[in-house]
Amino acid sequence: MNTKKQMDIFIVDDNKVFSLALKADIEVAFPKMLIKTHLFETGEKCMEKFIQVMPEVIILDYFLNSKYPEAADGIKVLDWIKKENFNTEIIMLTNDDSIDIALKSFHHGASDYVVKTETKFKKINYSLFNLFKTIEARSEAKTFKRLLIALSLVVAILVGGIIAIEIFIPSLFK
Amino acid sequence: MTTNESKIDKGNVCDLNYLSELMGGKKHLIEEIMDVFLKQVPEELQSINDAIEKINYAAIKGVAHTMKSSVSIMGISVLTPILQEMEDLGSNGTSIEKIKELNRKLILLCNQAIEEIKIEKSKFI
Repeated sequence: MNTKKQMDIFIVDDNKVFSLALKADIEVAFPKMLIKTHLFETGEKCMEKFIQVMPEVIILDYFLNSKYPEAADGIKVLDWIKKENFNTEIIMLTNDDSIDIALKSFHHGASDYVVKTETKFKKINYSLFNLFKTIEARSEAKTFKRLLIALSLVVAILVGGIIAIEIFIPSLFK
Repeated sequence: MTTNESKIDKGNVCDLNYLSELMGGKKHLIEEIMDVFLKQVPEELQSINDAIEKINYAAIKGVAHTMKSSVSIMGISVLTPILQEMEDLGSNGTSIEKIKELNRKLILLCNQAIEEIKIEKSKFI
């Protein structure tokens, strides 16, 4: 995948070692892409920057209260993000292979769910790869839609012009 | 603590191959993560100690849970079952004595890991 457009990714996790390792791993995994990764320890801090940056993807840990006991959990943060921008893609992370949290995440609008096992980084990168394709397809569909509207307008103007000429200057076509 | 207790194993507890592979061998990235780990682990050990003193099971569970991710990145697999057990006991809200015993092992192994990482880091300079 090779695109010139910058992709902003937020990583929200209260473990700095994990966030930093993931940031570096993403940069290594997608060397041809222009990716800017922003790290946050809580959902509250992430939301302070959200509107300003409008990231395409957020990698969000479910448990965010080990350092800050009052910090909101991943599902609450997911709701805040979706309320601000429904199109932001969210990958939910957790250490627990809990079906309840997985189902809850999907019901609240997460695009994917990754359990932090030994292969977590590979799984996250695979998930990112798929999301990048979705984002690219969505962007191409938007461009195609605009082109179609522009083409329809040109055709409508042409047809309108011909009809107008037929009505007002019928001799022109004879 | 006796000198013998300060290292429970003569072998290395850290296997930094995983981290190196993950970072594509980029030394500056490996060093950056080592720095964060060396700063973060003592803070986390302090948080667990405080939580044990206050018998705060939720906090014990939370910190043990968070530490699992970082120790796995640094290849300290020997700590994973200890942290898992602490997290489970914290979640059940029972056995503070068992948690204390696990915490003693955790401190010893983390100190050993810190020493090993400091040595590895010094080789970069």
